[in-house]
Amino acid sequence: MSANTATLPDMQRWMMEALIAPGSVDAPNLDATFKPGAHIDAAACLGIYQRSYILRLRKCLIEQFPATAHALGEDLFCDFADEYLRTCPSDSYTLYELGRRFAAWIDENRPDRDLPVDERERWIDFMIDLASYERALFHLFDAPGHEGRAWPTGDEADDELVLLPSLVLAHSRFPVAWYYHEVRAGKAPGHPPPAQEFLAVARRDFQTSTYPLSPFHYRFLYAVRQHGNIGAALEELAGWSGRPLADVERSWRDDVRQGWIDAGFFVHRDTVG
Amino acid sequence: MDGSVTKTVTQPETQGSADNRLGLGVGLRNSHFDHILQAWPEVDWFEAISENFMDSGGRPRWVLDQIKERYPLVLHGVSMSIGSTDPLDMAYLNKLKALADDVNARWVSDHLCWTGIMGLNSHDLLPLMLTEEALAHVAARVRTVQDVLERPLVLENPSSYVQFQKSTISEPDFLAALSEETGCQLLLDVNNVYVTCFNAGTSVDDYMKAFPFEKVVQMHLAGHQHCGTHIVDTHDGPVCDEVWDLFRTAWQKTGGAATLLEWDGDVPEFDRVHAEVLRARAYIDGIEPVPEAATQKRLGTATSTPVDFMVPNVMNDSRMVSQ
Repeated sequence: MSANTATLPDMQRWMMEALIAPGSVDAPNLDATFKPGAHIDAAACLGIYQRSYILRLRKCLIEQFPATAHALGEDLFCDFADEYLRTCPSDSYTLYELGRRFAAWIDENRPDRDLPVDERERWIDFMIDLASYERALFHLFDAPGHEGRAWPTGDEADDELVLLPSLVLAHSRFPVAWYYHEVRAGKAPGHPPPAQEFLAVARRDFQTSTYPLSPFHYRFLYAVRQHGNIGAALEELAGWSGRPLADVERSWRDDVRQGWIDAGFFVHRDTVG
Repeated sequence: MDGSVTKTVTQPETQGSADNRLGLGVGLRNSHFDHILQAWPEVDWFEAISENFMDSGGRPRWVLDQIKERYPLVLHGVSMSIGSTDPLDMAYLNKLKALADDVNARWVSDHLCWTGIMGLNSHDLLPLMLTEEALAHVAARVRTVQDVLERPLVLENPSSYVQFQKSTISEPDFLAALSEETGCQLLLDVNNVYVTCFNAGTSVDDYMKAFPFEKVVQMHLAGHQHCGTHIVDTHDGPVCDEVWDLFRTAWQKTGGAATLLEWDGDVPEFDRVHAEVLRARAYIDGIEPVPEAATQKRLGTATSTPVDFMVPNVMNDSRMVSQ
């Protein structure tokens, strides 16, 4: 950009790039664009914007990923955050979207991404899964929910029930929910060893609750979501597990149905918009 | 201290509209939700950050719906980017209009700034080069916004850390012309006046003399961090004496425009924030100000336009349940 001939769009593009990539600013242009401040030169004036840009957004990422920040340690998390913000600057009017691409960015930028899966660093897998879980919680916190509408009591027929639209079904390679809530409790958990974790996360009365699931139950809920129908999901589960349909239906009815309704996994079909 | 003496201020120079004289308000912050719902404090009005509620399907929106039943509400945005050369985000404007209607917002404000370009958002209030070209550009966008919102837009003077070599219009003159051309109204942030003028080495008195006070419907107060060579608008502490003096002048000249305290960094308990804005009464009535309440010492680097207060504490509302 030549400061002498710059149009308004030119100047805005130049300044935006100066915030995202501070090293790219050339001194002659800078002095031709900005006056010096009362007590500091033009570069120092711009530096206030550059410094604040990264500090404020880094702080927001720490707020959105507190457990990941704990797991990485503050210095390393800030290094990750700074690089993420440089390569994935915010593209939304809302800060709530700032961390949307964070877990995927870690995955895409891991240094061992070209190695076979079983030769990769496990701690990076843990960070990706933990960040994914935190993002899901953050999104669910303010997503459209079922508050203010009637919840089922358990007296309904199965075909009157559908999954809560915002219910999160998650699968992780590490016990990320356990780790997250240890951090929440003020403890200092170490990085856990790998362990498959299946989760349902529901929000009811604005409280977000995470429920560990067996692989069998996870598959069932996943099938309910796919089919939009409990009966069809029970049939699929019976076929997949090789168990008689009557056994699967009994297990659903006697072991989990009421508990999951009370937890808010299901809502009346006719209350979903 | 003798609070009954030196009553020097009489009636405001102009009488603002009764609809605009909301009194002394507080910026609505996530960390105060529980206190407000429990105590229903005697606050004149609240200002809510538009972007925090326009997409909310969770507790924040529910809280706002409770608050709107008991207090006057004003919406204050940080992402309209009225000065950007990117196209206006019509989806954003439509959501803003819906929110403003839903909560019966007394008015909708944002800043004379741009926040991003090329589809990106800096989440900062970036400075505009103040030229005739910029005035025409912003005026056209203000008209569009007002058509969508079906109400006047209220624009705030931002804090600035740079001045452009090619700017040809002063900020008060720019705002006056913009208001004249579009009918938009103004939010005068007296702390921002102080910060901008100090950083630029320009006269606060000249700024205030040129400012079109008759267009002002609202004022902002805030604390800042003085770094010796420059001031950063940190919104993380009490209001300094010099800014209170500007407020006193502005209160008279605006006819008592609605006044709000912003406290966004290291946000203390609600009562501490409320007490700070109530200190304005002394400057309005011309009596000895109540001493400033103790405030936690500031930590860390001065950051302009703090935004982390807008991020909710999701961890606090999460639990793990064993089945």
